[in-house]
Amino acid sequence: MEEEDLVEKGFDTKLLGRLMAFLRPYWRWVALSFGLILLTSVVRQAGPYLTKVAVDDYIVTGDLAGLKNIVLLFLALLVAQFFFGYVQSFTAQIVGQWAMRDVRLRIFAHLQRLPLHFFDRTPVGQLMTRTTNDVEALNEFFTRGATALCSDVFTIVTILGYIFYMDVELGLVTCAVLPLATATIFWLHRRTFHSFRRARTRLARFNAHLQETIAGMEVVHLFKCEQRSVDRMGRANDEYLDARLEHTLYHSIYFPFMEVSGLLLTALVLWYGAGEVLQEQAEWGVLVAMLQYVPRFFMPIRDIADGFSTIQMAMASSERIFELFASEPEPEGGNVQLERVQGTIEFSHVWFAYAEEEWVLRDVSFRAESGQSLALVGATGAGKSTIVHLVCRFYEIQRGSILVDGVDIRQWDMGALRRRIGIVPQDVFLFSGDVESNIRLGAPQLSSQEVEDAARHVNADRFIRALPDGYAHAVNERGTSFSTGQRQLLSFARALAAAPDILVLDEATANVDTETEMLIQEAVEKLMRERTSIVIAHRLSTISHADKILVMHRGQVREEGRHEELLAKGGIYYRLHQLQYRET
Amino acid sequence: MQLNIFKPFSEYLRPYKTTIILGLVLLLVVQAAYAAIPLVLKQAIDSTKAALDARLAGGAEWAQMAQNSKRDVAIYAGMIAALALVLMVGSVGMRWYLASVSRRVERDLRRAYFSHLLTLPLAFFQKRRVGDLMARAASDVEAIQRFLSNGLRLSLTGILGFFLSLGLMCSIDWQLALYALLPMPVMVFTLRLVSERTRQGYRRVQEQFGEMTAHLQENLAGIRVVKAYVRGAAELERFAQHNAHYVAENRRLISLMSLFHPFTFLLSSLSLVLVLWLGGRQVLEGTLTLGAFVAFNAYLIRLSRPMMILARVVDEYQRAMASMSRLEAIFQEPPQDDRGGDQVAISGGEIELRNVGFAYDSGVALDQVNVRVPAGSILAVVGRVGSGKTTLARLIPRLIQAGQGQVLIDGVALEDLPLATLRGLIGYVPQDTFLFSDTLRENIALGLDDGDGQVEAAAEVAQLSADIEQFPQGLETVVGERGVTLSGGQKQRAALARAIIRRPQILILDDALASVDTRTEEEILKRLRQVMATRTTILIAHRISTVKDADHILVLDAGRIVEQGTHAQLVERGGVYADMYRRQHLSSSLDNF
Repeated sequence: MEEEDLVEKGFDTKLLGRLMAFLRPYWRWVALSFGLILLTSVVRQAGPYLTKVAVDDYIVTGDLAGLKNIVLLFLALLVAQFFFGYVQSFTAQIVGQWAMRDVRLRIFAHLQRLPLHFFDRTPVGQLMTRTTNDVEALNEFFTRGATALCSDVFTIVTILGYIFYMDVELGLVTCAVLPLATATIFWLHRRTFHSFRRARTRLARFNAHLQETIAGMEVVHLFKCEQRSVDRMGRANDEYLDARLEHTLYHSIYFPFMEVSGLLLTALVLWYGAGEVLQEQAEWGVLVAMLQYVPRFFMPIRDIADGFSTIQMAMASSERIFELFASEPEPEGGNVQLERVQGTIEFSHVWFAYAEEEWVLRDVSFRAESGQSLALVGATGAGKSTIVHLVCRFYEIQRGSILVDGVDIRQWDMGALRRRIGIVPQDVFLFSGDVESNIRLGAPQLSSQEVEDAARHVNADRFIRALPDGYAHAVNERGTSFSTGQRQLLSFARALAAAPDILVLDEATANVDTETEMLIQEAVEKLMRERTSIVIAHRLSTISHADKILVMHRGQVREEGRHEELLAKGGIYYRLHQLQYRET
Repeated sequence: MQLNIFKPFSEYLRPYKTTIILGLVLLLVVQAAYAAIPLVLKQAIDSTKAALDARLAGGAEWAQMAQNSKRDVAIYAGMIAALALVLMVGSVGMRWYLASVSRRVERDLRRAYFSHLLTLPLAFFQKRRVGDLMARAASDVEAIQRFLSNGLRLSLTGILGFFLSLGLMCSIDWQLALYALLPMPVMVFTLRLVSERTRQGYRRVQEQFGEMTAHLQENLAGIRVVKAYVRGAAELERFAQHNAHYVAENRRLISLMSLFHPFTFLLSSLSLVLVLWLGGRQVLEGTLTLGAFVAFNAYLIRLSRPMMILARVVDEYQRAMASMSRLEAIFQEPPQDDRGGDQVAISGGEIELRNVGFAYDSGVALDQVNVRVPAGSILAVVGRVGSGKTTLARLIPRLIQAGQGQVLIDGVALEDLPLATLRGLIGYVPQDTFLFSDTLRENIALGLDDGDGQVEAAAEVAQLSADIEQFPQGLETVVGERGVTLSGGQKQRAALARAIIRRPQILILDDALASVDTRTEEEILKRLRQVMATRTTILIAHRISTVKDADHILVLDAGRIVEQGTHAQLVERGGVYADMYRRQHLSSSLDNF
């Protein structure tokens, strides 16, 4: 679990502006929503005022017909209020949904453009949190934070308006409590926000301890240090309780305090109002309405603190989203786009490191002619897979250049370059969907017939037909229901369907049954024969069919030539061959 | 739903019985005070009205009445203020007692949960996902806390508030009270209907959300393929579709939920309209006093709130019950069986495996293994990946339980030893060691009382001392996930020090020096031989150089012993071991290129 960093944001107006930008496309709806908040506050608070009118003008004077009219007006206002309230609530929430959708799509689109090295160092879980939880916090900001805050303020203003309209002096009496209320809100907000943040941090610490203990349970068991774990977690748990109790205490004081303030104001209004009525300075209805307004007045005041906290939380989340947007996307490349290429590949003095100065490739140069097959061999960590990654420009090289058809790959349009290259990775990734859509991945325009042709060509057709639904057979998440060999064959079909001019293949080392092994072998040979290919070879037959073998050792090309030549040389290749391929 | 909704939690609530009772008593006081206020208002208004009427009637004594009325109103206002203060004290106390109990129960539940986790066998953790176990400690415990905090307070407040208000309204005018109640059944009925629909809507939204996140997860996991096949735009298109479905489901839910508040407001206001019309007419006709009218209105507001409150309590109760059963599922997992009892003295350290077999779900890992390791000798185990070496090692400290056969130490079956004795005997250094986010010293000592530089001595044997000097705070450097990252070799040597410091009778190194370079490894083994002279050692390794000096070497393949003997004997034999030896020789010559 990520540690929650609830940095106190204060009110970052720049951030607020960027947040608001997500609402801009829907400004009419936002305006409607806020307009309706204003309208509903006025209508909603009309009840006590109507009571006042009813009391003063009709009940006290004995006008039954007038009372009936005012009751009907009240009823009409209620129905209007119901309608406005519904539209307002709907609008605010749907705008929140639209804005969230936009943010999610923007994050997703941005993620598609980020380079692989970003994904190498960012766990998937963290990116999921950005796209789901943090985006949800933005929704909270709008629907629960801003809207609620706005509604609370409008309500307070409206009630004050009614009171002043009825009786200026009583209005002034009511206003007298405002400074006290405001001070309390700020006090609570500061206190609870701090204690809440402390509680969150301590809960995160407890969770970290728990996770660590579960992950290290073997060590805990082996060294019998259960007591130590109980102590550590118990301490974190107790500290969390302390922070929570502090928070609970503030809340336990705050809510009653606000309610009691309302009651004290009621007492004041009663005493002062009754005196006024007796002196005939005020009418009965005013007193009656006031006694209804006072409790209504304190509810929105009480809730303002909540609105503030929600907004601050959302700001912490939004900051993390904006951080993600700030990460540099992959370069789009130049404008070279070719429909077909000859398929010559040249590495010229290429130096590459994933992390600074830890060279994985040192001054690598080689050339594969159009239609040639090139086999890469070498011990683990020699740099073979890196070469595969670099041809597709998954990573940027530090020195030298890589040329495809004589053009530096940095001048190629990124998409066009990758479309010309078919990659078959060692670890096949299948997407959920069906078999056909997985094969069609790189070439959506293909007909079913063409998909089947591709599958047949790489010997995948037979096992696909044997599936209950054939090409429409459902592939579950990650394709776990297929065997390794079947996944390999599907991956070949997928590469072939995209009709690449260059094939890059990382042979799987996993063991498969003899029959499938033969099918794979045959497919690889066919694929290699028809186009320029670079193969990380683990099988002797693949190597002996290659036009050229590159022997990689510690990031350098140490030997180059055909199988027999290299064997005769008695160098690294000879030893590797003895070690790795003797048994096969 | 059972009548006593707190019964499932009674075990955890019992320790706080007094606090809860105190809280409930205060809750009664608070509700009584609230109920009294409209009555005071009624008296104040009626008293003023009488005085005013007298004045309008032009009675002579009106001045005296006005004086009295003024005094009375001042007293009534004072009573309200006094009630307010009672409310303040009562309400703060009530909230604090009840809410703090829920927080303490939360703490207790978490403690019970992790204490129980610590007793469970390792096999339990292998079939559970960490995220799931974490979620139970976090969100499930929280759901229970929320229910206990709000449930205790709100359910009683709701019920008491409703009946007190209703009772007092009836005492003023029972017919008018019945009219005011008219919209209530409609409200209860629609709330139930809407909440049922809302639940279904929620479920559909959650399902759609699941689809959307599944796609996101898949996209991120397969980002290499997405990039290789230039699928970014198409994937975005698909994600946009998922989003559109999600927003559509949300719109349906929102259109339903937006109904909720305006509708309840409408219905509760209808009562107000009814009272204004019927009550107003009565005041006008003189059958109801103005004060009673005001009090009636005040009670009415307190009548409609409990309905909404109870709906919320029921919802939270259901969530809490679901969470409690998820916790119960863990509590019911049986702890690892432990004979327990007093420590048993073991002096030698002879290990014997008799006909031992073990199978994972995926297949057999050990089959009919028989071996005797005399006390003080070194046994080495070699073999390919997956040949059963680690399984064999893990049987000895009972990290796993042999399916067949018996493992004995000094002739005593493992099951007859208390776990604490057994594990105290053994120093086990696994392949992948785990360091806690704590100081290096604490990681080595792991709670052991370190008086006289034992940590330093152990670090010296494990060849870690030179590395420690490089660290910013030496042994006090925080390592692990949230500290300095150690290299694989450093981690392994720290784990070794952790085992050595306990001076175990039996030391098991499970490929524990694989990440240490050959020269350091030789040095470590040399020193270990001095420390371990009289102790039994089991050495699992890939490097022949590591094992060649062992007293006895086992070669495992597919869970069976295929060869055994000393290094010289096995090389002589020209089998699997000899082949491994030759290959390693070859590959080390490759390093020299």
